[in-house]
Amino acid sequence: MNVRSKHRLAKAARYVALAVVVLIFFGPIAWILATAFKSAPDVYSLKIFFTPTLQNIRDSFATPFLVGERTWNSIVVTFCTLVFSLPIATAAAYAFSRFRFPGGSIWPIGVLATQFIPPVVVIIPLFIVFRQVNLLDTRTALVIANMSFVVPYAIWMIKGFIDSIPMDMEEAAQIDGASRLRAIWDVVVPVALPGIATAAIFCFVVSWNEFFYALVLTQQDATTMQVGLMSARTERGDVWEIMAAMGLVIILPMLVLSRFVQKYFTKGLMSGSVR
Amino acid sequence: MVDKHLKYWLVAPALIIMAMTLLYPLVAGFWFSLHNWNIAQEATLGPFVGLDNYRLILTDDPDFWGSVRVTGIFTVFSVVITLVLAMALALALLLVGNDGLTVNVRTLLVLPFSMSPALLGISWRFLLNPEFGAISAGLGAIIPALKGVPILADPTLAMAALIASDVWHWSPYFMLLFVGALAALPQETIEAAQVDGASRFRVFWEIMLPQLRPVLTIAILLKAIFSLKVLDQVVTLTAGGPGTATETLAHLVYLTAFRFYDLGYSAAIAYLLAAVMGVLALLYTRFVMERA
Repeated sequence: MNVRSKHRLAKAARYVALAVVVLIFFGPIAWILATAFKSAPDVYSLKIFFTPTLQNIRDSFATPFLVGERTWNSIVVTFCTLVFSLPIATAAAYAFSRFRFPGGSIWPIGVLATQFIPPVVVIIPLFIVFRQVNLLDTRTALVIANMSFVVPYAIWMIKGFIDSIPMDMEEAAQIDGASRLRAIWDVVVPVALPGIATAAIFCFVVSWNEFFYALVLTQQDATTMQVGLMSARTERGDVWEIMAAMGLVIILPMLVLSRFVQKYFTKGLMSGSVR
Repeated sequence: MVDKHLKYWLVAPALIIMAMTLLYPLVAGFWFSLHNWNIAQEATLGPFVGLDNYRLILTDDPDFWGSVRVTGIFTVFSVVITLVLAMALALALLLVGNDGLTVNVRTLLVLPFSMSPALLGISWRFLLNPEFGAISAGLGAIIPALKGVPILADPTLAMAALIASDVWHWSPYFMLLFVGALAALPQETIEAAQVDGASRFRVFWEIMLPQLRPVLTIAILLKAIFSLKVLDQVVTLTAGGPGTATETLAHLVYLTAFRFYDLGYSAAIAYLLAAVMGVLALLYTRFVMERA
């Protein structure tokens, strides 16, 4: 075998390896996505080639699966979580980055440490409180519960970005007579925007995917897509084609965002974020 | 002076939210764990029992110790397999080179870990169905002994399936982390070793691996923490079954609190889990701080 064909063989082997990796990691997702468009007989006969149908999607919007309502709940909860969390987290991240607090670095470390509290510990008292104030099965309760992990997470990520912005810029802005708050808004926020965007993407993913709090805190009215999945397991058996249709709705934003997730990925991870 | 108090105004909203949603539950949860409280029967906190719940759990609760075992097995296997596989994939991806195709592959690999654990669990339940599950069919073709076997009905195989689904979920995430870390290694020593005729394996083992130690430490701690609190995919894939074969601690807490309504007892189990995670969290934060 000469050098050239050996080289070609090595190249082929690499692409085969790449194909196997794609098959293993993307195959199951592709199968679920395809199942969403299969007619029931095709679902239960392991067919690879099939005539696509929109019947499952249509059925999933009807009672008892209610994909429309539940998707709306997921969108509202995720959106509100981000809209409330990001400004709060940015303000705190700035303060932790620029000022000294009594106790020093115990505060930012404390913020990071909260990410390790298991959700099962937090949910029991939250459930009791929400029951007392009649907030069970509301989107408000879910937004509050989601903020418990999104806010500390976002603070930690955004702080990392603000740390890397030189102080000179704000100082220059303040000499010009701008107040500190204005300096933050006009100088720091625009420069930190990639960091805030990174935090936003990660927070979007974890809020959208949140399952356990929604499972415990909602019954019917505020049920999100993640919990709605369970309704595909009916008393008369599991309706997998409906489950797949719901899965399609859940994965869709991730398909759109995947390029951003990948792009901002290392930055987010290296800043020590957890969830 | 506005400036003097500005820093407190800036952190106040975040601290209030965290006090309400994290600090209060931590304190209240511990208080609950010192009581007997059946939330289906009593609207308010039941009788104070001191540390009785903890004593009962530690000395006389086979379910708890069963869950400790399940969580331990799950954590060890999922951490080791995930990280070894992730490192192998990262090295493989590096070998293939950085053309447009690998960038697209990396983008695809984001999907397993950006998919929700709940969907992951229920999808795998479907894919593992002995009659029409795609993974079952694939496995049956490779290992004839597994053909048509109801995997989730067998205690050992169900645990293996839970671990496999978790490895599938997380290894792309850690792979991307390792790809970043490998790319950041200084190339000179690696090239010098290669020129000297060192094998690829020796270059990895003796030159790359020692430099990756900080990243590996973080990865091990992170993955161990993820594994210890595994819950969502347990609910949707196995629901702890068959029997209690995949009953992780977090799932046991969930069942005890919201299926058996034994709130005080479940809070005590939750606190024992939190204590173990607290140790890992301490290690992790100390490590991150040292590097910062």
